Amino acid sequence: MSDKSSRRPGEESSPQYQNLERGSAGSGTGFAPDRLDARPVKPSKLGYNIGLLIAGILFIGAVSATGASWGRLAQLPANMVDYFGLMARGVFQPLTPETQQSWLSAIEHMLESVQIAWVGTVLGALFSLPMGFLAARTMTPLPVYVVVRFILSVIRAVPEIIFAIAIMLPIFGLGPLAGAMALGVSSIGTLSKLISEAVESVDRGPLESARAAGATEVQVIRWAVLPQVMPEVIAIWLYRFEVNIRASAILGVLGAGGIGSLLSSLFGARAWDRIGITILVIIVVTIAVDQISAWVRHRVIHGPKRRGSRPGPPGADDSSAGHDGGPVPSTQPGTGAGSGAAAGAGTTVPGASGTMNL
Amino acid sequence: MIEFKDVNVVYPGGHRGLKDVDLTIGAGELVVVVGLSGAGKSTLIRAINGLVPYTSGTLRVGDDVVDPRSKGKLRALRSRVGMVFQSFNLVTRISVLSNVLVGRSSATPTWRSLLGWYRPEDKEIAFQSLERVGIVDKAYNRASALSGGQQQRVAIARVLAQDPEVILADEPVASLDPPTAHMVLQDLRRINRELGITTVINLHHLEMARRYADRVIGMRSGEIVFDGSVDEATDTAIEEVYQRSLTAEDVAP
Repeated sequence: MSDKSSRRPGEESSPQYQNLERGSAGSGTGFAPDRLDARPVKPSKLGYNIGLLIAGILFIGAVSATGASWGRLAQLPANMVDYFGLMARGVFQPLTPETQQSWLSAIEHMLESVQIAWVGTVLGALFSLPMGFLAARTMTPLPVYVVVRFILSVIRAVPEIIFAIAIMLPIFGLGPLAGAMALGVSSIGTLSKLISEAVESVDRGPLESARAAGATEVQVIRWAVLPQVMPEVIAIWLYRFEVNIRASAILGVLGAGGIGSLLSSLFGARAWDRIGITILVIIVVTIAVDQISAWVRHRVIHGPKRRGSRPGPPGADDSSAGHDGGPVPSTQPGTGAGSGAAAGAGTTVPGASGTMNL
Repeated sequence: MIEFKDVNVVYPGGHRGLKDVDLTIGAGELVVVVGLSGAGKSTLIRAINGLVPYTSGTLRVGDDVVDPRSKGKLRALRSRVGMVFQSFNLVTRISVLSNVLVGRSSATPTWRSLLGWYRPEDKEIAFQSLERVGIVDKAYNRASALSGGQQQRVAIARVLAQDPEVILADEPVASLDPPTAHMVLQDLRRINRELGITTVINLHHLEMARRYADRVIGMRSGEIVFDGSVDEATDTAIEEVYQRSLTAEDVAP
C-alpha cells in the first residue's frame, strides 16, 4: 500500500526521470536500481496518532467528569457585572482620607506578600542548588540519586497549602514567616528538579578537559559545570519567584499573612469597593514583577545586547592578525612552509593527488 | 618517558581498543599518530592520562605506573600530563583567563578554587602561558568571543599552565581550517622545542604529520603497524597502514 503510493508520482508525472534513464542506458553503463536507490518507506506515525487520540479522549473525559453545571454560565454575567460595577466604583471613587487608607493598606499587604514570596524563593534557591546537583544522574552515584529524587518527588507531590496548614502554621504560628517557609520548602522540590535537568544537559567537553588537568570533582563542578548552568539556574529561580508571588496571595487566605489575609477579611465583610482596590493592586504589582523578572531572565540567558553582536568580526580578524604579529618570529621556517603548503593545497588538489597515487 | 608494555584496552562492550601495544616514547620527542578513524589513535592517547582505563599490561609515564583505579594517583598523573582536544573544551561563558587557570587546579587548594581566589603566582603563570601562545590581550574576554583557532590556543595555554611534562593532543586541528591548523601545530611544535615537553599528537593529515613530527606512528585496528622517522613514513609505508591507496584528502592540507 505505502509502496505503491510512494512510487506512483515518480512513474506518472516526471518525464525528466524517464529521460535520465534513457540517457544513462544510451551511454552504455545502464541504470540498474539497487536497494540503495529505493526511496525509504515513510516511517509509521501510529504511536504519535494514538498518543494524540488518548490525549483528546482524556481531555473530553476530564471535562465531563468535572460535572460543572454549564447552565449557570448563562446567569454568571449578570452577577459578574454587578460585582464588577461595585469594585470599579471602589477603584474610581474620589480620594478621601478613608479611601487613601484602603489603597495604602492594599499596597502594604501586597508588599508583604512579595516579601513572603522573596524569602520563600531565596530559601528554596539556597537549598535547590546543592540538591539539584545531587539529583543529577551525571553527577552523583546511583543510590544518592535515587534517594534525592524520591525526596524531591514527595516534596513536589505535596501542595504548598498542605505544607502551610500541616507543618508551618503550627510551628511558626499565624503570620508571614509560616507562608515564607511553606513556599520555601515547596520551591525546593520544583527548583531542584529543574536544576538537575539543567546540570544533566551540560556540555561534557569542559568537564573532560578539567578532569584531564587533574582537577578534583569540586573544582570540576565549580569551573566546568556551574558556569554553564548558572544563567539557566538564575532564570529558573526568578521564574519560581513569579510563581511564588501568586502562591503567597493564596496562602494569605489561610492566615499566612500578606495580601491574601486582607482579601479574605474584605470578602468576609463584603466590602466590594475595597476588594476592587485590592485586586487592582494585586494585578498591577504581579504584572510589574513578572515583567521585570522576565527582562532579567532574558538578559541573564542571552547576555547584554552589545556583547551579543560583537564576537563575529573582531574574533575572525584577530585570529590571523594576532598571530602574525605575535610569537611567529621563533617559528619562521614553519610559517613559510605552512602557508606555502596551504596555498598549494588550495589551488592544486588534483595535481597533489596525482603525485600521491604513484 | 612514556612506556607501553603489552597494553590492552578492552571496552565494556567487548571492543578491543588497543591490542598488545608495545611502545616507548622518549623525553622531548614529538610523536604524531596517524591512522584511519577507529584505528585506536584516540584510545592510545587517552590511555596515557587514564581517560580510557587500560585493562592489561603496564603503562608508565616517567617513573610512575598509570593506575586507572586510583583517583588520587590519576589526578597526580594528570597534573603532569596536559591534554588538548579536538573540540577545544573551553568553558565558553567564563573569561579566557579563568579557563587557563583551570590548568592550575591541581596546584590550587580546593577552597581557593571554589572562591576563585587563585594565588598571584598562579595568575602570573596563567598570563605567561597566554603570552606564549600570543593571545594575552584576550585574557579578560569571554572564551565564546574567540575564533576556533584562538580557542584552541587558549586550550594550549591551559595545558601550559599545568607546567606539564607531557602534552597529549587528540585531533587538535580537525575542526580548524588549514591555515589556522598550521598555526596551532606550529605552536605545539615550538612549545615542544622550547620547553622540551614530550608531545603526542593524533592527526588525520599526512602532510601535517610529516612537517611537524619527529616520529610517526601508524595504527590500524588497535595495533601499531608502523613506527619510524618522518623520512621512513613514505607514501607506500602509510598506504600499508591505511590498507588502501592515499587520496588527496589524506595528504592535504
